[in-house]
Amino acid sequence: MSSMGTRGPGGGYVQRSSASGLVDVLNVLLDKGLVVDVFLRVSLVGIELLTVDARIVIASVDTYLRFAEAVNRLDLGQSSDEGLPQLVEDMTSGGAESKTKGMLEGAKESLFGSSDDDDGDSEESSSGGSSSSGGTRTRSRSGSRSSSSRGR
Amino acid sequence: MPEYVYGVVAADVRLPKTEGIGGQPIRSVVGEDGVAAVVSDLSADEELRLGRDEVLTHSRVLGEVQGSGAVLPMQLGIVMDSDDEVRERLLEPHAPELVEQLEQFRGKFEANVRVVYEEDALMREVIASDPQIAELRQAIQGRDPDGTYYERIQLGELVAGAVERIREADEANLMSALCQVSLEQNVSPPAHERVALNAAFLLEQARAKEFDDVLEAIAEGQSGRLRFRYTGPLPPHSFVELAGAGS
Repeated sequence: MSSMGTRGPGGGYVQRSSASGLVDVLNVLLDKGLVVDVFLRVSLVGIELLTVDARIVIASVDTYLRFAEAVNRLDLGQSSDEGLPQLVEDMTSGGAESKTKGMLEGAKESLFGSSDDDDGDSEESSSGGSSSSGGTRTRSRSGSRSSSSRGR
Repeated sequence: MPEYVYGVVAADVRLPKTEGIGGQPIRSVVGEDGVAAVVSDLSADEELRLGRDEVLTHSRVLGEVQGSGAVLPMQLGIVMDSDDEVRERLLEPHAPELVEQLEQFRGKFEANVRVVYEEDALMREVIASDPQIAELRQAIQGRDPDGTYYERIQLGELVAGAVERIREADEANLMSALCQVSLEQNVSPPAHERVALNAAFLLEQARAKEFDDVLEAIAEGQSGRLRFRYTGPLPPHSFVELAGAGS
């Protein structure tokens, strides 16, 4: 998550994709669509389990602790409308610079996000309409990272 | 020979030349009443396992077919033994519904909108929304995590409640705006704590830009607080239905 703003590559504020990454695809079609007879269904390897896990995170002690951590790690110094003494903030949020990632990362995201560019960072576009040959997809990254050696 | 079933189209739709699961070409199984199933053959002696590649292929094939005409998507992982079985279990018993829905979804598509909170902005709102949260948070700051275990759970529970209140208000606002520019809606339960909204919308192709404009305006107004992700155009996964089908 390198970008600060939420403006997408097209100049808009909405990030767009055409469902070519696994996270998007699962989000869009898992448990949806026509089914004539449940016994005709082949089960998903691993994927369904992971997603079920992601759906039961709400309302557990673990969730509460994550919420507490999320609200505790917030550096209120940036917003002026809170009256917390700056000193307390400085003492308690020692490694504030390193908090690039949020606490409330969804299980689904973290499970799939590491695999490759399926996560929200990358803008993906499918060659859906113009199907010249099967299976070809073109992808372009929105956030060009300086660390990447195979950048343009 | 077993075959994988992707969806149902009108029999006169010309399918694109493309590969399905396992690299097999997609083809149609034509039934009566002008409906056809989109299938591809599977190897007879190897059990199909649905992994990442198969899921992506399922989605890609439907997307390509949709480019040629309305398609009613099947759920992931529907396998039938033969063309005859496709006709006997899918096309013939459900022909009237399939015909009706193909007509209903002509010129329409599904779009999925996922809205996620920016964590810092959300937590700021949470603290501002409840003095008890601000107090408890301050009381815990700087103390040993082990010694404040129960206070942290209490704090987290309050935060969770505040987040849910904020989320419900946002969902209601977003839906009331987006309902006016969409034909049908289907809201999914949030998959994790930062999800504000995850919903599918049925859009008319001719009026899709209205939806885009409204969504873009909302996203601009919520910039820094909410992140918006739009996935589409999709076949109407969330809106197709067969009466009497076991689920």
